[in-house]
Amino acid sequence: MTRFIIRRLLAMILVMFVISLLTFLLFEAIPNGDPALRLAGRSATALEIQEIRHKYGFDQPIYVQYGRTMKNIFTGQAYSYTQGFNVLDEIRSGLPATLSLAFGAGIIWLLTSIVVGTLAAIKAGRYTDRVLTVLAMIGVSFPPFFLGAVLIYFLGYKANIFPLGGYVKLTANPVQWFTHLVLPWFTLSVLFIGFYSRVLRSTILDTINEDYVRTAKAKGLSERQVLIRHILRNSLIPIISLWGLDIAQVIGGGAILTESVYNLHGVGQLAAESIGKLDIIPILVITMLTAFAVVFLAAVIDILYAFLDPRIRLAA
Amino acid sequence: MRRYNKPARIAAIALAASIVVAACGSSSSKTTSTPSSTSPSTAKNGGTVTLLMGTAPDSLDPGMGYTTQAAEPDWLAYTGLTTYAHANGSAGGQVIPGLATALPAITDGGKTYSVTLRKGLVFSNGKPVKASDFTYTVERAIKIPWGGSGQFITAQIAGATAYSTGKAKTISGITTNDATGQITIHLNSAYGAFDNVLAFPSLGLVPTGTPFTNEPNNPPPGVGPYMITNVVPNASFSLVRNPKWTSMNIPGIPAGHVDINAKISSNIDANTLSVLNNSADIFDWADTIPGSLLPQLKSQASDRFSQVDLGGSTYYIFMNQKAKPFSSQLAREAVVTGLSQPAMNRLGSGTLAYGCYFLPPAIIGHPSGTPCPYGDPASGGNIAKAKQLVTQSGMAGTPVTVWSETRQPRQAWMTYYTSFLNQIGFKATQKVIADATFFTTIGNLKLNPQTGFADWNQDFPNPVDFYLLLSGAAILPTNNQNFGQVDDPFINAQVNKLGAVPTSQLSSVAGQWQALDEYTAKKAYVAVFGYQTFPKFTSTRINYGAAIFHPVYGWDWSSFQLK
Amino acid sequence: MATTSATGTEFSGETAALLAEGEGLPPGIGPWALAWRRLRRNKTALAFGGLFILIVVVCLLAPVYSHAIAHIGPADETYLSKPFNVKTQEFAVSPTGIPIGPTWHSRFFLGADANGRDVAVRLLYGGRNSLEIGFVATMITMVLALILGVWSGYFRGISDGVINRFLDIIWAYPAVLLGVTLGTVLAVGGIGPLHGTALLVPAIVIGIVYIPYVAKPVRGQVLTLREREFVDAARQQGLSHARIMFSEILPNLASTIIVFFPLILANAILLEAALTYLGAGVQPPNASWGTMISDGISTIPAAFHNVLVPGIMLVLCVLSINVFGDGLRDALDPRAKVRIAH
Repeated sequence: MTRFIIRRLLAMILVMFVISLLTFLLFEAIPNGDPALRLAGRSATALEIQEIRHKYGFDQPIYVQYGRTMKNIFTGQAYSYTQGFNVLDEIRSGLPATLSLAFGAGIIWLLTSIVVGTLAAIKAGRYTDRVLTVLAMIGVSFPPFFLGAVLIYFLGYKANIFPLGGYVKLTANPVQWFTHLVLPWFTLSVLFIGFYSRVLRSTILDTINEDYVRTAKAKGLSERQVLIRHILRNSLIPIISLWGLDIAQVIGGGAILTESVYNLHGVGQLAAESIGKLDIIPILVITMLTAFAVVFLAAVIDILYAFLDPRIRLAA
Repeated sequence: MRRYNKPARIAAIALAASIVVAACGSSSSKTTSTPSSTSPSTAKNGGTVTLLMGTAPDSLDPGMGYTTQAAEPDWLAYTGLTTYAHANGSAGGQVIPGLATALPAITDGGKTYSVTLRKGLVFSNGKPVKASDFTYTVERAIKIPWGGSGQFITAQIAGATAYSTGKAKTISGITTNDATGQITIHLNSAYGAFDNVLAFPSLGLVPTGTPFTNEPNNPPPGVGPYMITNVVPNASFSLVRNPKWTSMNIPGIPAGHVDINAKISSNIDANTLSVLNNSADIFDWADTIPGSLLPQLKSQASDRFSQVDLGGSTYYIFMNQKAKPFSSQLAREAVVTGLSQPAMNRLGSGTLAYGCYFLPPAIIGHPSGTPCPYGDPASGGNIAKAKQLVTQSGMAGTPVTVWSETRQPRQAWMTYYTSFLNQIGFKATQKVIADATFFTTIGNLKLNPQTGFADWNQDFPNPVDFYLLLSGAAILPTNNQNFGQVDDPFINAQVNKLGAVPTSQLSSVAGQWQALDEYTAKKAYVAVFGYQTFPKFTSTRINYGAAIFHPVYGWDWSSFQLK
Repeated sequence: MATTSATGTEFSGETAALLAEGEGLPPGIGPWALAWRRLRRNKTALAFGGLFILIVVVCLLAPVYSHAIAHIGPADETYLSKPFNVKTQEFAVSPTGIPIGPTWHSRFFLGADANGRDVAVRLLYGGRNSLEIGFVATMITMVLALILGVWSGYFRGISDGVINRFLDIIWAYPAVLLGVTLGTVLAVGGIGPLHGTALLVPAIVIGIVYIPYVAKPVRGQVLTLREREFVDAARQQGLSHARIMFSEILPNLASTIIVFFPLILANAILLEAALTYLGAGVQPPNASWGTMISDGISTIPAAFHNVLVPGIMLVLCVLSINVFGDGLRDALDPRAKVRIAH
């Protein structure tokens, strides 16, 4: 166990190192992407650019620059070159919106997909199943920015039921918070509902044929009891572990499209805006944060699985 | 991010282009002093209004801020030795004394500027203002550095370069006397626009000891009718009235009537509707009203919405004189003759004012009465004539790369331009560059860009600020601003001569500037395709008539008052 | 089970990867005839498969529509500066920038976009580009993933470790962020001789993003395949490694490849749209459904058709691939029989 954890930890550090290095080098490679030129402004003189280059250390070898940037990030002193803010503070201020989006949507998609997936499995092969399959497929075929734009147009502009985007703090006005988040929640959930319900449907169908289920049925338990006590309980394990990972991804700025189209000013939108401004530091931090969340949670889930299911060996 | 909420399409005209100047000051006639306590009884004081901005300021620290969105609030919180009159139209372009008792005395053939600081000035934190704070402020702007410091400070003030490079501990060209308030500035050579330079908010005084770092989220104390507080990066900030302002009694710079809460929201459609239905009060001038909402505004808000040509910015297409095909004057004439400004205007939601001259209407020297040499721009381009000119030039079939920014409508303009070039006989392709690197990319001489989008928004109302873009001396290996590499001996000589004329005497050489601008148009050095008009749009709560639309800063926030 | 990793639409990569790993595709050659029979019975899947082919054919006919029917090219902005209808003196775009909606004429049948271009013509040309990028990206993913997956599964050892770490890195990199970052860099700079505006640039970016989602399950499958008797037999006959991989292992991966192809294709098309929306995909004047949607978003209140038309096409296309792919997977997966029987 200890060995497993250490190996996973090492792998995690390696992955994060390479990802940060890769991002760093990618930005180095942008032609005319020299941050000094942008910091200096449009009518800067050559001398002035030289000064900035020196002041920020852009004239130093790239590995020195990389090392210094990493040090700044880990000491919480990472400042955006062109936007001036402390990146960690900025991420912290974007978190309430992102967390509201992630957990609100997460609960919606988890519950809905459990209902839809179970229903589809029970009615497998029948008309209800077919309809639910196609609906699920429609859900996963919608680009969120398209769905968002359509919803804002009809329910915002036309019907005037929901606001046209933006985020209101829960503490500032709970009602406004809710109305501002309904459409983003829905937009983000649609994707996951389609996907999760399909996964759950097939897991349930697989479980139905397991021996213990047959045994339970043979013992004379009612369909409902078998479904809830045996099938659903086992089928939900993979779904919930997926849920954890997806939520981690959304919190790490993964809902970049939904946040952008609804102008939520969360972590994802910060990433999107920083890319537009070719502002490397926020992108670097958010990328590393997401990668960390993903790798870390994947390891945690592996460990949890090992505890839950002794058949799984913790191979590297 | 980029789209629904298209960041102020035209808005940040000022990637760096900027309008920026400093704040406050007393009118030279000293008759208009109206601190809010004594303002006319019709003006109602108090309250808070909400202003919606589509694009965040680059930095609210005056030592860094260089975009229109930064200048707008900074102007009112950081008064320089000079500033601009708080007035609409060309009156607002007039330089007036700010923290100085009078406009600078210019001696030594235009190379020495002397002023005296007013008595009893205090920063918003209560600290008294000293003459040496000016030196400190200039040094800070150099060290941060402020985007304009290379062009306007180190290049102009004697000893500033030595300070910038670390060879000197202070700027030898500035001498101050804290006891008398005397400030004397020596320039490297005569620079007529230096009165304007002193008015930049970046040279608005900050206390000695303010860190030499950009403080966008905690802007330093300044002297002005307002203080900037509650900065939440990329989300909001507030301008509250400076309680210490009225007692300083500086003529010509009124105290504000209301506090302003600025919110940054890149969804321009939502911003427009919010102001229309009064859930917000002010629509930022640098944002563009979406064309789809214009009819609604015109019908429902005609008493509080208008498109105003501030006359301080020009949109143009640069054409490289040193590379085929635009080395040929006929090829350039073809572009100017054939390009349809009404079509460009459609792409810009109808917000362009037509014109063919490089100097925009509010700048001295703009040839207002002279007809355009290659056809009336409002009538649309003459494609047949343009095709014929291309054939005549022998450049038909030449491959052309059109350089374009990502943001709209600039990208759409260049897409149309590319399609147009193909129509008149060139082989054009478009190259779109991320906004953040566009000007540095096309400013790289090695690339030798053939043609593409360019704009200029005045730093200050002086023609030399525009003609620097067309002067041979401005061709640089990197960060070149003379994208078309125009190097005409006549233009160079005139820019040198007329550029030395002090701002206060500009009108004496207006005729010569006009002749120069007509010459440029005749030579078809650039294809001007219009001047931007800006939306003056408020909620019904605001006294629309009293709100000032300033030629340099757009909205004058100190003029906002509730009905 | 549905391995619909919608990474392009902000699904986490791990979702897909976990699924793909737990997929347990059949190790042996499936009875193809049986699969075909099953697929034929699934009318829904066939109908959507037909819809997809229809979309492809219509998009391929874009030049025909453009020349013979609409008489206007996809990048033609002529009607911005002159009226397209001489009688009514109507322009494609109003003086305040509002494009005309659908008409009953062959030109501007689906209206104009904000640049005065024919939406119908661009829709077809854009579809061609979207599909082209989707197919090329999918090919890149499949080929590279097969090479990496087979190599690491077959040889194991150090190369397996290295390849696995490499896959982990791409996998842990937030997919959309990776795509946008790569796309932005390449769009500005191009790759070597490739111009930054080339369609191949987004295709390569998307192709790279999806590699681990295919390579990981392939590797897992090869790991079991290499222990099978027929591979042992081939080895004892003295066949070279290359020969074994090609003639013994690869054919056994066929059903995996077939199942993954539509899955990656659907997501590649979605990711293209997402990248374009974030400014890092197809560069103008080229059109794609993604560019059309993101350009149209700014004019939604005045010209909703600019978003609706390409949006519907995009959703229909991806949906048809997804449903057909789902049917295909059911047909190829022997366990599907159990499900239907249930």
